[in-house]
Formats: sequence, structure tokens, C-alpha cells
Amino acid sequence: MNYLNVEASQHEMKLIQMGAKVEQINSKMCYIKFVIDGLPVEYVYNLNKKNKYFLERINPYPLAIRSYEKVEDIVKVIEVDVRQFQNMVKSKNVQSFVNITNEFIDIIKKFEDLILYYNVPAEKVGVIMGKIDEINQEINETKKTANRVFFDKEPENLK
Amino acid sequence: MLQNHVFIALIIFVLTYTAIISEKINRTVVALFGAVLMIIFQVIPQKIAFGVIDFNTIGLLIGMMIIVIILRKTGIFQYIAIRTAKASKGDPWKIFLLFSIITAIASALLDNVTTILLIAPVTLVITDTLKLNPFPFLFAEIFAANIGGTATLIGDPPNIMIGGATGLGFMDFLTNLAPVAVVVFIVTLLILKFMFRKEFKVTEENKKKVLGFDEHKTIQDKKLLIQSGIVLGVTIIGFILHQAVHLESATVALFGAVLLLLISKVDPDEVLMEIEWSTVFFFVGLFILVGALEEIGVIKMLAEKLVALTKGNMLVTSMLILWFSAIASAFVDNIPFVATMIPLIQNMQSISGIDVSPLWWSLALGACLGGNGTIVGASANVIAAGMLEKRGNKIGFIKYIKLAFPLMIVSIIISTIYLMLFYV
Repeated sequence: MNYLNVEASQHEMKLIQMGAKVEQINSKMCYIKFVIDGLPVEYVYNLNKKNKYFLERINPYPLAIRSYEKVEDIVKVIEVDVRQFQNMVKSKNVQSFVNITNEFIDIIKKFEDLILYYNVPAEKVGVIMGKIDEINQEINETKKTANRVFFDKEPENLK
Repeated sequence: MLQNHVFIALIIFVLTYTAIISEKINRTVVALFGAVLMIIFQVIPQKIAFGVIDFNTIGLLIGMMIIVIILRKTGIFQYIAIRTAKASKGDPWKIFLLFSIITAIASALLDNVTTILLIAPVTLVITDTLKLNPFPFLFAEIFAANIGGTATLIGDPPNIMIGGATGLGFMDFLTNLAPVAVVVFIVTLLILKFMFRKEFKVTEENKKKVLGFDEHKTIQDKKLLIQSGIVLGVTIIGFILHQAVHLESATVALFGAVLLLLISKVDPDEVLMEIEWSTVFFFVGLFILVGALEEIGVIKMLAEKLVALTKGNMLVTSMLILWFSAIASAFVDNIPFVATMIPLIQNMQSISGIDVSPLWWSLALGACLGGNGTIVGASANVIAAGMLEKRGNKIGFIKYIKLAFPLMIVSIIISTIYLMLFYV
């Protein structure tokens, strides 16, 4: 605890001098790990008295899921998520799904480097936007033709 | 039956203290285990064991911890550090000097570990900015914390314990120990300046970075700062007056703590979570361990031996306690050492009838200043060394002892002269 406080104090002082407002909250960090047919599925979230819990899936690919106000909500979300992965691992394409998602995450990181390190011309922004529209269209068309396999809840992003 | 108890008690006591000194097992767990064994083996009945816990010491520790935890949230220490660094215009020697003075004053009012935990992070940020080796600064702060803590009743756990057991008050400690602590501090700083004279070189560019810090940004909650400042002030006045108004020091500290909790509306769960409960329970374990030895007459027997050895000569006894405490405290935790010495000195008084008052100052000076001697001599040293090690600036036991032990001996020589001149 002593060392944590010392580290936290140094970070606080440096960040405040950078212009940040720093609030330190005592919390419990929870790591959750499932292994579904050999596929590790892991989550991390923190519990604190501020009633704001940030849930993130860290494996098989990292994804910030959402912040919640009730601990029960987190358990429910994880429960549904795990059932979805139990369903997904039955597919022979499971490894491809994981690879594609990781590729998307890599693309986001590369795109961020592109816009943070380079002056990107407007026409190139248009080209990239067009490629994203193509992928979006492909996902929507695939949804229309593919058989639905999970019915416990409605998709949140793919309406 | 009684002889069996003595035998069992000594085995438990020696094994427990050996385990504490070895630092292989958590000291709190060992102390509590030894204490519970004393009760299980009926060396001391549970009712008496709970009775020998010095709740004045425990209350004082908890009360001050609560005040500091809340005070820390105000950012006042960062404010003071930045103001000081800017006032020094980034001059490393002035920063070194002023940070040491701040540490010594803070340590006289707060316990040493807390002081180091407050001053070290800001020191590391400043030395990082100035691209300086943090070791000389933290080394000086360790000494400043241990010397400053010697000066008052609340500055160092051994003094808290001595005050709790003897009824000596805040002003007794201040008037008897502060003068010698000031002299030791000045001499130590002069030696340190000579020792580290080649370390204080910085570029103008890095000095400008320190001058660019804004101390006003550090105060994130002005209302809490005012509330904490008032309560700390009231508490210090309470310590100065506590004997005159017939209140124990723990009452003063706990009053300050609960008053601050009440007016600041800081979440008590958050504050209580940050109390160093392991330290508090370490004290509880030690009180029972030593209480058990006292209960079966071992402490009285040791006191008789000591009186026979010194023939009741105050000069010899005083010097023996001072130097033995200093050397012992340099290598072992001074808290268990003082916990054992207190009843020993009390028994000496009842056996020989001599006025043992000077011996309390010998014990306090030896135990507090002796802690400077090695890297494991005091909790503040261990914490500061740990911080440096985490940053890749490991200080070995030998490197530390080469620098620190002679300095500690100088402080004990000064204490010897002081005690001889004014007490024995």
C-alpha cells in the first residue's frame, strides 16, 4: 500500500502539472478468465464505491465493453458474452473470426498512428472512408443471408 | 508450574523476536502469533493480555494516521515542495537543504514513515526534472525524518510508546529532546553537504523546468485544505496543552481525527481503509509479548541484573542504555526493542528507587537516532530504499552502512555530551 501511494503521488503531481484534474479512487480490480474449448476468454473490471464499473474484454481480443452502474449488470453481461463465445467456438471458422477481429483492432491502431504522425490528405481520407463503407455493406449483407444462431438477446450494434 | 511458564514464555519471546529480526516472515503476523501463543500456553490470561495493550499508543497512532490521510488529499505537500523548489530557483543544494528542513519539521509532527511517504514522491519528481541522482536527497530525508521524529512525543513510535507508558507529555519531549535534535540535525546537514558536494550539478534548462511548475495547481480542494489545516493546528495546540488540561495524547489525536472526518465529510471507509493496520496490530502483538514477560517476572529479573551490573550509577546506566539502544536499533526494529526496554526501566525504578527520568531520554535518543545507522534500522529507511530500488537506484546494505553508520555515531556522541551536560 505504501509503494502504491508513493507511485500514485508521483503520477498525480506530474499529471496535475500537465493540467489534469486527478481523482484517486480506491477500488478492486477483478480479472476473470474462462477457457471455452481451448479458447481463453478473459475480462477485467473494477469495483468501487462510485458505482461506475468499467468492463473490458481482454481476450480473445481486447474490447472496451461499457461502463455499468450495478455489479449485477456486469455479471449478466459476462454471462451472455460467455454463452455467445460457447456458441461461436462450435463454428469451424472460429480462428478466422478471432483473427479478423484482431486485424480490425490493428487497423484502428495503424489508422491512429497515421493521423497522429502524418498530415493525411483529404482525398486519402475519402478513400479510407469508402473502404470502411464497403466493409460495413459486406457485414450488413452477410447478416441478411446468414442463419441466426443466438437468440437470447438482440444485437446491440448490428441492427 | 511457574518455572514452566518462564521457560515457555522465553522460548516464545526469543523465537518471535528472532523471526521479526530475520524479516523472513511478516513482522505483524509473527508478533500476533507469538502473542496468541502466550495466551494459549497460559503464560498470560487473555483478560490481562488485553489489559496490557497500551491503547494510548494505539489511539495516538490511529488518530494521527487519519489526520494525515485526509491532509494528504489536499495536495499541500506538493504545494510546499514546488514553492520550495521555485524559491530555491532550482539550485540543488538549496533544494536539498530546504527539503531536509521540511522533512525534519514534518517528522516532528507526523510519524517518520508518513513523512517519507509524503516527501519522497515530490522529491523524486523534482530530482527527475532536474536530472539529478535522487539518492543524496532521499538519504538526507531519511536522516531528517529520524532526527526530526526524535524531537517530539508524536514524531517517532518509540517516543509514542515511552510517552504512553510513562505519562511524559508532548512538552516534556519537546523541551528535553528538541534542543539536542536541532544540534544533531545541523551537524548532520553540514556533513551531508560535504559528502554529496559533487552531486549537485544541473543545467540551466532543467532549472527552468522546475521554475515552470505551478504550485497553485496542486491544491485541488481549498475547502478541505483549510479544514485540515485548522484541525492539524488545533491538534498540535492540544498536544502542547494536553498535560495541563489532563487529557491523554491519544484523546487529542483521536479528537482531531474525528473532528476532521466530521467536518470534511470525506468518506470514512476510504480513510479507514488507508490506515496502516499492520503497524497497529504489530504494536498490539508486541504489547502482549512484553506484557507476558512482565507478568511472569522476567522483566523484573532483568532489571535487577541491570541494577546490579551498573550499581545504580546513573551515568553508567544512562550511557549503557543510549549506546546499546543506538547499536541495537541500527540493526533491529526499534519498536520491539523499546517495547521491551520500557518495562525494564520501570522495574529499575521500583527496585532501586532512583529517578529514572534521564533514562527515558537515553532510550528515546538511542532508539530514534540509532535507526539511521543501517538501511534496515528504521521503517523510513526501508521504504526510501525500496523506492530507489524500484527506480533502478539500488542501495546495497554495505554502501548505506558505510555512509550512514559513522553519521549515526556522530549523532550518538552529540547525545552523549548532551546527556552528560544536562542530566547525569
